Amino acid sequence: MLQRESSFAKEALRYGLIVLVLGFIVFPIAWMIITSFKPADAIMVSPPRFLFTPTLENYVHAIYDKNFLFYIKNTLFISVASTIIVVVTGSLAAYSFARYNVGDGHLLFFILSTKMFPAIAVILPYFLIFREVGKTGIGSFLGIGLDRPGALIISYTVFNLPFAIWLLVSFFQDIPRELEHSARLDGLSRLKVLAKVVCPLAAPGIAVTGVFTLIFSWNEFLFAYILTRKAASTVTVGVESFFTLQGILWGPVAAAATISVLPMLVFVLAMQRYMVRGLTFGAVRG
Amino acid sequence: MSQSLSVPASQERGAASPTAMSDRWFSILLIVPAMLVILVFALLPLAYALDVSFRFADLTRGRIGDFVGLDNYRAVLHDRAFWSSVGVTLKFTLTAVTLEMVLGIAIAFLIHGATAGKGIIRSLMILPLATSAAVTGLFWRYLYDTQFGLINHFLGLVGLPEPNWLGDYTIALWSVILFDVWQWTPFVALIALAGLQALPKEPFEAAELDGASTFRVLRTLTFPMLKPVLFLVLVLRTIDSVRLYDAVAVLTRGGPGTVTETMTFYLYRTGLKLFRMDYASTMAIFFLYAMLVASLFALRPLLTQFSSRASEG
Amino acid sequence: MKSMLKKGLLAAALMASTAPAAMAQECADADRVPITWSTIAGFYTDAMAELVSGFEAGHCVKVNVVNIDNSQLYNKQVIEMVGQTGAYDVVTLETSEKAEFAENGFILPMTEYFADKKAQLDDVAPTLAALTTQYKDDVWGLPYYTYTAGYIYRADLFDDPTEKEAFKKRFNYDLAVPTTWAQHRDIAEFFTRKAGETLKGEKLTKDFYGVGLMAGPFPEIQDEMSGVLWSQGADWLTDEGKVPVDAVEKAMNDYLELVKYAPPAALTVTYDGVMNQMKDGQIAQTYSFFLDQWPNAVQTETSVAGAKMGVAEAPEKKAYIGGFLLAVSASSAHPKEAMDFVAHIGGHDAQMEFAKAGGTSTLMSVLSDPAFAAPESRGKTGHFSTLLEIFDSMKGFRSNLFDTPFGAKIYNTMQIPLQSAAAGQISARQAAERLAVEVEKICGGPCPIGK
Repeated sequence: MLQRESSFAKEALRYGLIVLVLGFIVFPIAWMIITSFKPADAIMVSPPRFLFTPTLENYVHAIYDKNFLFYIKNTLFISVASTIIVVVTGSLAAYSFARYNVGDGHLLFFILSTKMFPAIAVILPYFLIFREVGKTGIGSFLGIGLDRPGALIISYTVFNLPFAIWLLVSFFQDIPRELEHSARLDGLSRLKVLAKVVCPLAAPGIAVTGVFTLIFSWNEFLFAYILTRKAASTVTVGVESFFTLQGILWGPVAAAATISVLPMLVFVLAMQRYMVRGLTFGAVRG
Repeated sequence: MSQSLSVPASQERGAASPTAMSDRWFSILLIVPAMLVILVFALLPLAYALDVSFRFADLTRGRIGDFVGLDNYRAVLHDRAFWSSVGVTLKFTLTAVTLEMVLGIAIAFLIHGATAGKGIIRSLMILPLATSAAVTGLFWRYLYDTQFGLINHFLGLVGLPEPNWLGDYTIALWSVILFDVWQWTPFVALIALAGLQALPKEPFEAAELDGASTFRVLRTLTFPMLKPVLFLVLVLRTIDSVRLYDAVAVLTRGGPGTVTETMTFYLYRTGLKLFRMDYASTMAIFFLYAMLVASLFALRPLLTQFSSRASEG
Repeated sequence: MKSMLKKGLLAAALMASTAPAAMAQECADADRVPITWSTIAGFYTDAMAELVSGFEAGHCVKVNVVNIDNSQLYNKQVIEMVGQTGAYDVVTLETSEKAEFAENGFILPMTEYFADKKAQLDDVAPTLAALTTQYKDDVWGLPYYTYTAGYIYRADLFDDPTEKEAFKKRFNYDLAVPTTWAQHRDIAEFFTRKAGETLKGEKLTKDFYGVGLMAGPFPEIQDEMSGVLWSQGADWLTDEGKVPVDAVEKAMNDYLELVKYAPPAALTVTYDGVMNQMKDGQIAQTYSFFLDQWPNAVQTETSVAGAKMGVAEAPEKKAYIGGFLLAVSASSAHPKEAMDFVAHIGGHDAQMEFAKAGGTSTLMSVLSDPAFAAPESRGKTGHFSTLLEIFDSMKGFRSNLFDTPFGAKIYNTMQIPLQSAAAGQISARQAAERLAVEVEKICGGPCPIGK
């Protein structure tokens, strides 16, 4: 009886703390979403206004006047394409590192070290590379070049690969080798083992990696801003058109930001199933 | 890891078809696509930066200019603003990463122990990451504002002092850190949580049967098993913090004055405002060098661990 | 050799342009020559779209408008110029950037182009023309928008009998639009009040401040400081290309006097923050503030009960002056069409439309058009007559900052020491000295001044 009470108190404390943490995390975003429904004259006021007649005018402005969905479409295409490339090539490489120890750690270190070069120092070489590639037939065929989506897909792939490979290596290493060995004994080829046995087991890790890769690509600003002009611009660049000479259009910015969070949320919710699979891990192993 | 089930190498080879390639070739083929991308797009810019760092290169005065030897290196070494930005970066990284790791791991445990609602908790946690710093930073600027901000409004209501979060040079850097902690603690927590959930159950069940204390289980089981993934998160967060740009660019632009000017922001100012690509490249080389040296020491345990786990069995 | 070829091509293009304009109207979409204009985001976008289609109606050209955030416009354009991508045919330049773009061959001179369009060039307010269109005996484009600074204030406070009386009692002279620095400072001090005190006889529910300033980490604190410095007879650069440390120190100290009476947010905001403070009834006046914000400032009259806005010349009749210049990129594939576009947007008809939409024109014929002085136009163009006065007061004004090819880089750096001083981290002296060091570093010695 006493024990149950104390465990109830413990649970209450736990959920109390969780609510507190979530409050801190959610509150700025919540304020942003609230702002997106405010009429223009209720935003920059002191004291802050909590009661107001909600309006959709900010969304109308963002979607119709600023054509924000165009940027969403660009960003979706670019970040999904880049994420697929990263997850596929990253998984292959990570599996190789985790199982065969290619390069004895040196290659892994080299891969991580490419992340240590400041982005701003590589931006100009990238600009020049893509300018040249863009002039060629291959460039225009593959959509690579300045203000073409390929330039950003490649850039984001390069940035996210080191992170993805390192994260995946640690997940792959947690998978017991015995399963692979027995699958090989059953006559499966190495690639089949990777696809049918290893990847399903590593699903939580791959899902987590995919989620973060997508999010990082979705949110990147500097390269999108330098390498695109309009046709291939992404949401982070699109938001810039809300910073006007009459000041920042807070309401429409909030609406645009809220719109751009939605695809990520849907994606994360969809990936939940795979991320949770880790729970059953022990069962498989046993 | 149990060795009893492992198959002798000869037997394994026998199971594959005769035309199958060797493990070595297979393993190399697996990394080829990733390495191709990385080699081209990491080494080319590096070579370019190295070349430029030995030349005069003011982009607005023509193209890449004459060879000037080590002049740029000397200039950067004597640049006070550069060293001050190094100091800001160190202070920022040390504080932000420590806070994010400690809080993130604590939150992961908190959520891991929860019985219900994990899915919704995880989805909410991802929110700060799901919007770019360029946008959320803007709203933090709004929250921090002394005239219209929500934070000072609430502080005022309960009679607390209302700081000038981004305008007071003694606290501006802390305000940037707070923003970074808000944005990245969930990242640490989510990965740590994934690590916790991936832990095998049996050792813990056994420990419970033995009546081991919670602290003992943590110390001898949980943390040692979580170590690789936590260490990895630590490394990734450190690298990203050292390269901090977005948050500074949107919150303070390095101000007031240069109080929050990190290395990458100074690099941006030098390279993309003053267009001195020679100085910018030289700083980038310094940056890379420092990071490599630091990580050679820091990463050794992780690398050895990866290697030994990969070579075993 | 290359430039000769370019000139030849240009001459050929000019001759071709004498063909009747009427034929342009019947041109198929496929024949339209594409040109791209990089400009400032949210810059009366709707009005611009109309001006652009007006141009397209008369020319067989398709104009692609690229909107870029003001703070990123400079570097984005430089990268495309250095990369000679030809992506932008028409660029938008700030006054301090013109010399750099001209000196480095990023933009084409339009002297020949305007040779037979002298009248159009002469219509640009002469004070502005000297600063924006000319560099080293050539014409480089047309300004189409001016942000020239003046003084925007809450006229209702100045008209209030209680405030007038209290002011007179305290300072021994009448409360009126300030003409000197000392008066401006007094007024700022006078109107700075805590919540609970009274303003216009009514109890304040929140703190009220004497002046709104743009001392945040943006390149606008130097615009305010320019007013102080220039009105004291100094300039950012001497004719020898050096920063006059003593003069900057003095101006900085005067500016710091003003910071005391500004809201704390002054250290984090730029003009939009000041406008938000004005519209929320938190400040009484501005200093050396962009007059193109007038249509924005007037909204205070609806958001604050009893408010009435006023506009005047800045104290001492010197303030930041300049405009956005349209110029043609040297890497443009269609310089002729691009120049036609510049002439169109900067021309009388387009500028009239622009002004009606709330844009602040640079042409004398537009600024002095009686229609814009009518009471019903006050909300959008009430500042035009003040602009004319400013152009008159500042006739013949030059700043070396606008005549050095390093102007843009200096301009993009100078807010750092100035802001450090405003935040109280360093003294005015230290700020002036740091500025001198930074400027010398940027120019690699004394800055060249090209007049």
